[in-house]
Amino acid sequence: MSELKRTQLYDVHVAAGATMVDFGGWEMPIQYPSGIVSEHLYTRHFCSIFDVSHMGRLLIGGPDRVAFLQHVLSSNVLALELNEAQYCIIPDENGYAVDDAYLYRFEEERFLLVVNAANTEKDLVHLRRELEGYDCTITDITADWAAIAVQGPKSREIMTVLSGGAPVTELVRNSLNTLPLEGHFARVSKTGYTGEPLGYEVYVKSGDAVWLWNRLVELGAKPAGLGARDTLRMEALLPLYGHEMGEDAEGRQIPVFAVPLAKFAVSFSPQKGDFVGREALAAQYAAFQKIQNRDYAGTEALPRKIVPITLIERGVMRKDMPVYKDGRPVGFVTSGTMVPYYVAEGEGMATTYTDATAKRALGMALVDNDVQTDDVLTVDIRGKMVKAAVPRFHMRVDAPPYARPILYSPPVQDKAADGQNYRGEALELIRKATENHVWRQRQCINLIPSENSASRAVQLLCASDPAFRYAEHKKILSFYDREVFYYQGTKFIERVEELLVEQLRQYLGATEVETRLLSGQMSNMAVFSALMDFKNRNNRKVEPQRLGYILHNHIMKGGHLSAQPMGALHDYVAVDPVTERKAVVPFPVLADNVYKIDVEETKKVLDQYRPEFIIFGKSMVLHKEPVKEIRAFVDEMGLKTTIMYDMAHVMGLVGDYFQKPFEEGAEIVTGSTHKTFFGPQRGLIGVNYKPGDLKWDLWKTMESRAFPGSVSNHHLGTQLGLLMAAYEMNTFKDAYQRNIIENAKHFAKCLKAEGLDVAGDPAIDYTETHQVIVNVGYALGYDIAERLEKNNIIVNYQATPNEESFTASGALRMGVGEMTRFGFEKEDFARLASLMADCILRGRDVTEDVEKLRSEHLEMRYCFRDEEINAALEKFLGVIGL
Amino acid sequence: MNYPTELAYTKSHEWLKEADGVAEIGISDFAQSELGDVVFVNLPEVGDPVTAGEPFGDVESVKAVSDLVCPVSGEVCEINEELLDSPELLNSDPYGAWIIRVKDVTGYDEMITAAEYEAFVSEEG
Repeated sequence: MSELKRTQLYDVHVAAGATMVDFGGWEMPIQYPSGIVSEHLYTRHFCSIFDVSHMGRLLIGGPDRVAFLQHVLSSNVLALELNEAQYCIIPDENGYAVDDAYLYRFEEERFLLVVNAANTEKDLVHLRRELEGYDCTITDITADWAAIAVQGPKSREIMTVLSGGAPVTELVRNSLNTLPLEGHFARVSKTGYTGEPLGYEVYVKSGDAVWLWNRLVELGAKPAGLGARDTLRMEALLPLYGHEMGEDAEGRQIPVFAVPLAKFAVSFSPQKGDFVGREALAAQYAAFQKIQNRDYAGTEALPRKIVPITLIERGVMRKDMPVYKDGRPVGFVTSGTMVPYYVAEGEGMATTYTDATAKRALGMALVDNDVQTDDVLTVDIRGKMVKAAVPRFHMRVDAPPYARPILYSPPVQDKAADGQNYRGEALELIRKATENHVWRQRQCINLIPSENSASRAVQLLCASDPAFRYAEHKKILSFYDREVFYYQGTKFIERVEELLVEQLRQYLGATEVETRLLSGQMSNMAVFSALMDFKNRNNRKVEPQRLGYILHNHIMKGGHLSAQPMGALHDYVAVDPVTERKAVVPFPVLADNVYKIDVEETKKVLDQYRPEFIIFGKSMVLHKEPVKEIRAFVDEMGLKTTIMYDMAHVMGLVGDYFQKPFEEGAEIVTGSTHKTFFGPQRGLIGVNYKPGDLKWDLWKTMESRAFPGSVSNHHLGTQLGLLMAAYEMNTFKDAYQRNIIENAKHFAKCLKAEGLDVAGDPAIDYTETHQVIVNVGYALGYDIAERLEKNNIIVNYQATPNEESFTASGALRMGVGEMTRFGFEKEDFARLASLMADCILRGRDVTEDVEKLRSEHLEMRYCFRDEEINAALEKFLGVIGL
Repeated sequence: MNYPTELAYTKSHEWLKEADGVAEIGISDFAQSELGDVVFVNLPEVGDPVTAGEPFGDVESVKAVSDLVCPVSGEVCEINEELLDSPELLNSDPYGAWIIRVKDVTGYDEMITAAEYEAFVSEEG
């Protein structure tokens, strides 16, 4: 046997007392003295470092590099933008894996392909054989570069120390960056093989390897060996060549699509042409789709699939142990071990981890296609039949900063309710609703920026007779496009809707307004649907094309669900055939103020993508949107894009103190009516199209996408209430809007003066809207918001653009709208800022002070409060009998 | 590494302690250190016969499984049930964490003293 190879870090491992073993021809640490269990746990709750310098690093360059990689890899290389990475398979002609690999695009001109250590030589032979005819080079740089994986919830904090505070990478998985780490050249990738939601793989020149390793240890990371790497990847259901790929227990090759991750790693994009193994993989994919639909006939190309497996009796599974279902052999374990975890307490966002640990036996198995989640199986553990189950997963990574173990429990049957005391529960409901109303309306300081309270007049009108009626109506061209109502008894509400439209036209500066939508999100969906219909209006005999590209505010940069593919855009946005991703592109934001759109960068994006649709507006909003600048640029370029401004949050600020959307160049305004606006919870669309305009028909389509497209009953009670709110807004908007913005700026300055970390630009007093954002520390947002709620201050914990998810939220998002409406002035916000600082920074119980401050402001302002109005309301109340 | 002198050892790294006709069996400090984190112990049942030199159960670390070889022949009269929930006791307290107790002892595997075992381990290591 040839001599074992050693990585740049060999001496460091030996000095640390590591147990060194032969791994794929390399002498590698399997564990350090603390042991695999402790290394596993430290990774999950703090940060471990792994020497992955043994993995093969191949640079692919030359003019045909893309064509070559499209030919030899399973993935669509063109889907990779600069500074992105992707998982891929190196398939053979028969649809089996030569290896699995990661492809990185750190540079325009070259790709980095990282392959398994034990397979590097075999991969090189395979790749070089396929190289013929391509003007392309493969350079093995394994010895020139070292690689260290930095994995775990503290990894970002540690890496950010080394980067001197600069962002290490973008937050999304598979992002790449090239940056100096304390002066040492480094390439960093937000990837890993542990399943950790926060984790990096760092490439440095060989000479810097020991420096980086020791520096990471100084910063609190601990070394972990291949043993922990294996238990971590199993818990995360990540496949390993030789286990879930390569030969199975009976010596047969495992098809690529047996591994669930394959569906992300394999692309049949026309961009790839006829790549190695395409035909065989296509047959597997056809079988895979049938199996997903539980149709097992004709699935010979994919006889078995990899599933998670966990023991429900004592024992430990190991590779190649036979698996049975109802006594029938169904396959074999491919990976198995015992994995430790920290025991959790509490539920939901209040989940915390104790110091107590426990273990569970889990792994993966290659089993017949008819094995389903929650099936009970048995595993033959050296002659002993041990019960196992098929869980959906072992762990979830969608609540960062932690990877969260999911302990298996069999499905439970719902028990039928019997002997319920409905009357008693009704009574209890009334009591609780009373308590809640008094608490939120009289004792709490409400700072949720998407909320407001409605005036007494609005509330009473909402509850009156129209709340129980229907008034479907539609404009009919046969009657000169006049509204026709489908129900009797609706003349009052018909007039209400006419008046409401007129009030909102005046308020928005719109030519037309649609008021039948029930929410901002529904309004957006009606617009998207209308735009798609408008796009396809000239050919309805083929499948309609969806929208794309769309320029929007990304959800991680303050955008709202109502303009994301995961939200309201879901069914309306196209897939880019080249990248195979949703055809959206986010507004670039300023590096030093992530809350503000970077206009100059946006112009470049407009030039590159030429979007057909631009959606302004967001839910974490401190600045005016650059509607005017972008409109001017779009017109200058002659782009036929449609510009919409979703003003949900700032609907109550339309005017002199904020923005006049149509004057600045928006064509469509959508939004909800209950955030800064005074109304009950509804949505609306306003446009500036006029009869004769090219897009007049787009407006007509929006009307029909409201009714019959979105609603039949458009909730007439709140429509009536909204008319009163519109009268209030049109009467009081000047003072209200001015005070809101002054209050927000003052509140922000006071919070800052009290020692809190207020986000935004101090030059504009942090905000140009009703919102104020305070950073409270990574992943502490929920705890602080809970503490404030116990003190009767209601805020919104939110992830800032620097956090991975709301579960890692480190900020409070607040709005001054509701309290301004209850008469809070600057000195009240100053008092509030002081109380909040006491509560957040010093842990003081401020409940009594909060209740006192609130009790001084119980009367709604910016609404009609004179005697005649009050008398009319009393009479109304008496008559309707509420 | 610890080698209590009052115990007898086997070359397969078990230890044996006898009192009142009952043999108590465990694994040595060296064995637990070689195994690494013990995560599971597969035990026989009370009443099972055991044979000197033959496996009576196994012990699993994260990495691998190893047989437990019985130093004596006889009948299992007690198992250490605590190990089912806390197998890591074999790591933290190898000489306190006995695995099984055997009665009616009829024969022995080759046993060595603490000093001999220490010499054997240092040669092997």
